[in-house]
Amino acid sequence: MQTRDWDQMDDEAFRLEVRKFFQQQFPEHLRYPPHHLSWAQTKDWYKKLYAQGWAAPAWPKEWGGMGLNGSKMLIFIEEQERHGVARTPDMGIILLGPLLIRFGNEEQKKEILPSTLSGDFIWCQGYSEPNAGSDLAGLKTEAVLDGDEYVINGSKIWTSYAMDATHMFILVRTDKAAKKQEGISFLMLRMDTPGITVRPIKNLLGVEVFAQVFLDNVRTPARWLVGKPNQGWTMAKALLGFERISIGSPKLAQAGLEKLEQVARQQGLMKDPAFVDRYNQLRLDVADLGSTYGRFAEIVKRGGTLGPDVSMLKILATETYQRLTELTLEAAGDAGGLAGKVDFNGMPIDILSPFYMARPSTIYGGSNEIQRNILSKNVLNLPG
Amino acid sequence: MSQEDTNQMLRDAVGGFAARDTSIARVRALRETDPGFDRAVWKKIAEAGWTGILVPEKFGGAGLSLPEMAAVLEEFAKTLSPEPLNAVSSLAALTLSGGDNEALQARLLPQIAAGELVAAVAWQESESGIDPAAIETTAKEAAGGYALSGSKRFAVPFGADAYLVSAKGQGGLIVACVDKSAKGLTVDSELRADGTRVARLKLDNVQVAKADIVASAGAGARALGQAIDQTTILAGAELLGVMSRALEITLDYMRTRVQFDRPIGSFQALQHRAVDLFIQKELSFSVLRDAHIHLAQDADALALWASRVKSRCSEAGMRIGRESIQIHGGIGFTDECDIGLYLKRAMVLSAWLGNGAVHRRRYAALAPALEAA
Repeated sequence: MQTRDWDQMDDEAFRLEVRKFFQQQFPEHLRYPPHHLSWAQTKDWYKKLYAQGWAAPAWPKEWGGMGLNGSKMLIFIEEQERHGVARTPDMGIILLGPLLIRFGNEEQKKEILPSTLSGDFIWCQGYSEPNAGSDLAGLKTEAVLDGDEYVINGSKIWTSYAMDATHMFILVRTDKAAKKQEGISFLMLRMDTPGITVRPIKNLLGVEVFAQVFLDNVRTPARWLVGKPNQGWTMAKALLGFERISIGSPKLAQAGLEKLEQVARQQGLMKDPAFVDRYNQLRLDVADLGSTYGRFAEIVKRGGTLGPDVSMLKILATETYQRLTELTLEAAGDAGGLAGKVDFNGMPIDILSPFYMARPSTIYGGSNEIQRNILSKNVLNLPG
Repeated sequence: MSQEDTNQMLRDAVGGFAARDTSIARVRALRETDPGFDRAVWKKIAEAGWTGILVPEKFGGAGLSLPEMAAVLEEFAKTLSPEPLNAVSSLAALTLSGGDNEALQARLLPQIAAGELVAAVAWQESESGIDPAAIETTAKEAAGGYALSGSKRFAVPFGADAYLVSAKGQGGLIVACVDKSAKGLTVDSELRADGTRVARLKLDNVQVAKADIVASAGAGARALGQAIDQTTILAGAELLGVMSRALEITLDYMRTRVQFDRPIGSFQALQHRAVDLFIQKELSFSVLRDAHIHLAQDADALALWASRVKSRCSEAGMRIGRESIQIHGGIGFTDECDIGLYLKRAMVLSAWLGNGAVHRRRYAALAPALEAA
């Protein structure tokens, strides 16, 4: 495993090195997948990343990460996107690792971080519940301390990678009397603990990438409580920083625009003034999304903290992409009703997958309506 | 001093002007008057140095560039002052300095910087749209100069001391400086939505001496094109100022207007509407900021960025203006409520130099191939 001082390296040299590695090492057939890939599909690639020392770009070097600063972290993400590098089941790397590094105790870090980095522990995130979606703080899954174990009862839903996961980090209610945000704790558990049932959920693409997880008297050691009891909400909230900029990246929309143009050309629509005007509007929307992303990226590069106004980036990126996939569907005409890769004069193009993929983007990570609530309250200072 | 510091200092200075030298009452009083702005206030604007921001130092200006002028115009536009700062101190000044008559530059630019000369560029005609070349006005070579014939529209401001008139000469587009009292020139005005005026010119064999040719046939198209594109970006900055202030006023209203025993700003339907307006304003800011960054490195992309900026800012300005009226309810449709003044200024700025749809088409024409993702 390499440990290098990336900070010493020039940004452009770093970009070229990362680009070269992705180009040479990432399997061609997995580029730009139409949906999230499973651990079985991505394991070999993950092991390669791990061997290179690049599995956790944002983690500090003392825990085996690359210790990248904001600027290089953005470059790393941009190069992943440029090459269409697929996500692995990365909840442990992206969410749990940084949370443990900040709030966990030394024993927890030693027990969890190395095995997470090596891919021996695959994590899923237990936050949403059937009755706690946008109102996440209203979650009801309960944990009661019994000796040196917590006993957990309840159910989690929309749990990505639950079928692959060996472990879950979970928000549970530990104080029913407290104000709802103040009675929540953050626990970790093994997925092979008795009492856990995973029911995969088939999504609109027809694939099972998330699941409902039932917890029936599931016991987990009390040493796997992260932070103090009833501080889970604050900790989970504190980590929303960096992910929110990658969700706002214009790359997906730029790829969507190219696909729209391909379809439109095949359909002879670039001569239709009504279509062309809508196309041009979207093209400007994508360009201006890029300019807005650039503003926030600049803050990250300077080592600054993103404010609540970053919510606008998620709204812009996801809604622009949705409109692109919708116009692509319309441009495809009758072929817009065909599943899988559709033949356009010898050119195979998948029309429906991007359209489906765009649907949940405005729902997960805090729905766009929740983002608008956040902007209204915390940026526009409108009354609650 | 960093550019950010300079811009902040300029913004603060405009803030002082706004508190001292202008008011919404003054703006209202000047509506539909002739010429529609106040020369005494113009003098104060010149004393503050803003008329000379884009004028080279050797001609009595500050020799600064677009970002500084944009900062001033954005703040100035918030005051709704009808004084034609962008039209005179950007469009006319840049047309002059982009021309190839240095003696004329040395004569006129110091007067523009000092606020002594109000010059309007007359480059559009009824059918010409925003293509400076698509004109009918002709310049025939005559003894010691040219004779201009044709008609012009949308020249800002009405009541200028001189007009910089474009015309088709033998070897290309020329720009000529025509005094308001020149023989053969008739000027009348058309009233704009916000109560200011634009000039309509008729030129009947107007004689212009060689010394008064701003740009000769070799230089005219480029000088005019660049000046228009730069001014278009600055009009985006003005729109940003207008929409920012309109949104602030509307948000204030939402916090204080009570219906159903609650401030209307507590209703989610209106909150989400306000957020979408805010996002449009932020997009305008983003693209303007990006234009400054890119143009500092690649001046050749000026036309492309001008169209991107104007397209977004025009649409956003109009939308924020319209929806601000809706959020105000009935009072928003009255003349006594200030919010309507902002809508009307947004309408004027949006239409001026090409509206959103025009610049959307132009952007598409200028950027034919998708940038590689």
